[in-house]
Formats: sequence, C-alpha cells, structure tokens
Amino acid sequence: MNGPDLDPDRDVLYRDILGIDFTPERLGENLAAFRDILVEIEKLRRLDLTDVHPAIIFEPTAPYRREGGE
Amino acid sequence: MTRPLWAQPIETLAPKLRTGSLSPVALTQACLERIEQVDSRLQSFIHVSSAALEQAHHAEQEIKAGGWRGPLHGIPVGVKDNYLTRDMPTTAGTTAPGISFPLRDSAAAGRLRNAGAILIGKTRSHEFAWGNVTPPVRNPWDLTRVPSGSSGGSGAALAAGLCTAALGSDTGGSIRMPASVTNTVGLKATFGRVSRDGVVPHSWSLDHAGPLTRTVADAAHMLNVLAGYDAADPACQAQPTPDYTKALGKPVKGLRLGVCRNHFFERNQEDVERAVEQAIGDLAAQGASVHEFRLPILEYGLGAIFAIELASSTAYHDVSIRAGRTPHFQPDVRSLVEIGRFVTGADYLKAEQYRAALMEDFRKVFETTDVVLGPTTPITAWKIGEWTVEVGGRQESVLAASWRFTYPYNLTGLPAISVPCGFDRQGLPIGLQIAARPFDEMTLLRVAHAYERAHEWKDRFPDL
Repeated sequence: MNGPDLDPDRDVLYRDILGIDFTPERLGENLAAFRDILVEIEKLRRLDLTDVHPAIIFEPTAPYRREGGE
Repeated sequence: MTRPLWAQPIETLAPKLRTGSLSPVALTQACLERIEQVDSRLQSFIHVSSAALEQAHHAEQEIKAGGWRGPLHGIPVGVKDNYLTRDMPTTAGTTAPGISFPLRDSAAAGRLRNAGAILIGKTRSHEFAWGNVTPPVRNPWDLTRVPSGSSGGSGAALAAGLCTAALGSDTGGSIRMPASVTNTVGLKATFGRVSRDGVVPHSWSLDHAGPLTRTVADAAHMLNVLAGYDAADPACQAQPTPDYTKALGKPVKGLRLGVCRNHFFERNQEDVERAVEQAIGDLAAQGASVHEFRLPILEYGLGAIFAIELASSTAYHDVSIRAGRTPHFQPDVRSLVEIGRFVTGADYLKAEQYRAALMEDFRKVFETTDVVLGPTTPITAWKIGEWTVEVGGRQESVLAASWRFTYPYNLTGLPAISVPCGFDRQGLPIGLQIAARPFDEMTLLRVAHAYERAHEWKDRFPDL
C-alpha cells in the first residue's frame, strides 16, 4: 500500500509548497528546528479570534504621505 | 572621586563640553584608548571609525565658535552594525558572499550626526539581528558569559566605557535584553516614534530603533534627538515630540504601577525575582500605588511572535535563499531564516489577530494603571555556548526564556525601558522593565528616573 512516505512526488510537492529546493537532509534539519516553534503556533491556532480584525490595516493613503506630516 | 571620562554619562559630560572645560577630542581619545585597551577581550566593535578624531576636532571648533548644538555635541556614540552609515561599512553581522549595504546614513545616524555626536564605530550585531547572544562578543561583567543580543556589541561596549551611548535595534527585546545583562539602560520607544530608515530590516512590524545609555537622563537626551516623523519609514507617526528631559526629576507619588502576575512572575531566577519585587516596593515607598492584574492571553504570545518574525525574516531574505546564500549564514540564523517558509499565511494572520487582541487587553490595563513593571529577562547573563538554563527549578532553552518578557512589547508596539535594578549572587546585572501607553515615553522615563536616582546601580562598573 502506498502511504505518504512512499509518494514519489512528495519532495516535489514540498519544494513547490515551500518555494525552496531543500535537500532531504536539510529539510529534515529544518523540520526538526521548527518542531518546538510549531508547538507554540499550534497553541495559537486553538485561540478563537474570529471577531478580531488583524493588527495589519491596509492604508491606501500611505504612498501620499509627505515629509513633515501626513 | 572623579570618574574617568569613559565612565561618565552624557548628563555630566554635556555641560563640560558646552563650556569648553572638556574637549570632545579628549573625550573621544579616552574612548578610543579604552577600545584599544579592552576590546580585544570584548570584541564589541566590528569597525572603529578612522574619522572619529576628525569629527571630534570639528565639534571642538564648532563649540569654541559658539555653535554648541545640544547635549550630544561631542559625545562618542557606538552604532549597531545594522544601521547604515555613510563613512563606515555596514555588514549586519554577516560575512555571507553576495550581500552588501550602501554607504549612506540611516535616519538615526543622520540625526545623531546633525546633533554633533561623534560616531565612533560600529558595534557587533548578531547576524541580521537574529539571535540573542551576539558572537563573538563577551559580557564585560564576566567574560565567560554572553552580552545577550542582538545588540550585544552595543551593550558590552557601553558597559565597558568604550563609548558614551550606543544605538541598538529591538525586534523581540534586542535593545532591552543586552541592557539588562550589562547594567545599562535600554529604551525601545513606541513603534513609530523613531525612524528605522536605513536600519537593515529583520521583521518590519516588530523592528524598533533606539538607544542604549548609561543613565535614564541620557536615554532622554538620545530620544530628544532620535524621535520624530520621517516619511522614509512607513511606520513612523507624526506625533508631537516633547522635550523628554522634562520627565526627569518628577516624583512618582500618585502614579499607578501595574504588575502582571501571570507570565512575568511565573518563572524567574530567584535573584531576579527578588530584585524586581524590591524595585516595585521601592517605587511604592515613594508614593506610587501598586495594581496587580493578570493577562491570560499572554500564554499564546510566543507562537504569535514566532509566526510574524520568522515569516517576515524569510520574506526579507527570499532572494538570498533562492540564490543559495543561506548556507553561508551562521547555522542558527540559517535555520531561522529558512524555517519561516513553514509558517502558513493563515498562521501569520492569526498572529496579527492575536496582536490586535493583546493590544486591546493592554489598553484596558492602562485604564487603571500608568505603567507596567516587571523583570526585563527572567535570567541573568548565561555562559557562552550554554543553550539551556535553570529557571524556576527547571531547565529551559535560553531562546525561549530570554525574551519572554520583552517580546510582548514588540507585539504591542508599546514603549518599554530596561533600567538596572541590582545584581545576582554571582555579581551579574539584573534589569527592571517598565512599559507605558503608546507615545507616553514621558511617564516611562519619569518612573525609570525616579527608581534610578534612589539607587546606585548605575555607578557600578565591571572590573576589566
């Protein structure tokens, strides 16, 4: 039975998703380095913030700001 | 007893420079000699300016001719190596091939130059301002220990008297952590208060530019010069710029001190907690009231700052990643720059939602408090090469522990300052962190100064 680990396209898929052609060794090192960080990000994912607007606010007037004030 | 010139703060040097009883040349020479004497052991400077004495001579002539520009005129300032400078190379701490930076002044360097400061050299940065140790810099209080980072070169140089003030940058605590572990003052003003134009980006919405100084008054003098609107920094705000020295010497009686009992006081080294509790008690004894509160949302902050910082750094370094330059980065920085690819767009935006929620929670806190106090870091300077430390009875990675109390103020953009508040049993410095409402650096400096002048921590120097 073919599982994900035996998928011959897996490395290509990783490369396309990540946008970087990591070697299998480097990919493994980076995934290991990311493991503890992922625990924290997973914790954040569980927080319900549905009704909160992100802190990023699109501001179309930004390019028109001039020296000395807005 | 008169302190040597290299050990004096701006607040005592400036009046002498103004009246001509001290020459900028003598002061700059004293710092250059100090660099020559001790920096082979500290490694805090990556470049010493060949034009420093020429700048000092020019300042001397200007002052003699009645052209005193202000308290920074003739003051030697170290510039972190991620600020562009027109007369000194910038490396941002990297030796990777194919990466170079222009010879032009960052906004902060330009402002200091216009104020008459002597840009004495470039202080070492952890590569691309990532990381919290700043190799190969050593902590002047114990040469076997780190000066933290990423502005570790500025912290070490200042603490050792190699310059009178320094510039640092702070994305998760990189001004305040080195200040905390070197017995200096580190000020991260409100996001948008100080222009980051010409500072090599690390994470656009978290990066702050600011000073490390010997005293709180010196931080006020530096902020007077650095603060102000700059259209070249899209985050910079056109807010009024008060004279920050007017915050000094005012009593704290009647002010409300907030103390967040979760997160900031759950796991600290014993000596750190003792010193900070004592500091809060000292300010209360001066007439301030203490208001304890809890912010449960802080439990989710580490994931949020990692998502934003990693994704932003990876975006900035995208060209380098594609060009195959990252294998030439330091191993820790290479990993951090590459793994930002694993942060999804949804995670990034969730972090930005979190950030808005955290900002709102702090806004509510500031309805009933004027400042928030706590430790700058839960640990004192750790040994070079040590990756875990004991905190609150258990082993913890220094990466996780060191910035735990500083990054909330990068996520919120609130102003925060670290001031010396004692030493642990090994003789290592401890920092007290004070945060305030957006653009309320006046209250921040007022409280910091009230604490500082009631103690003698700023008068201690490492034995080198």
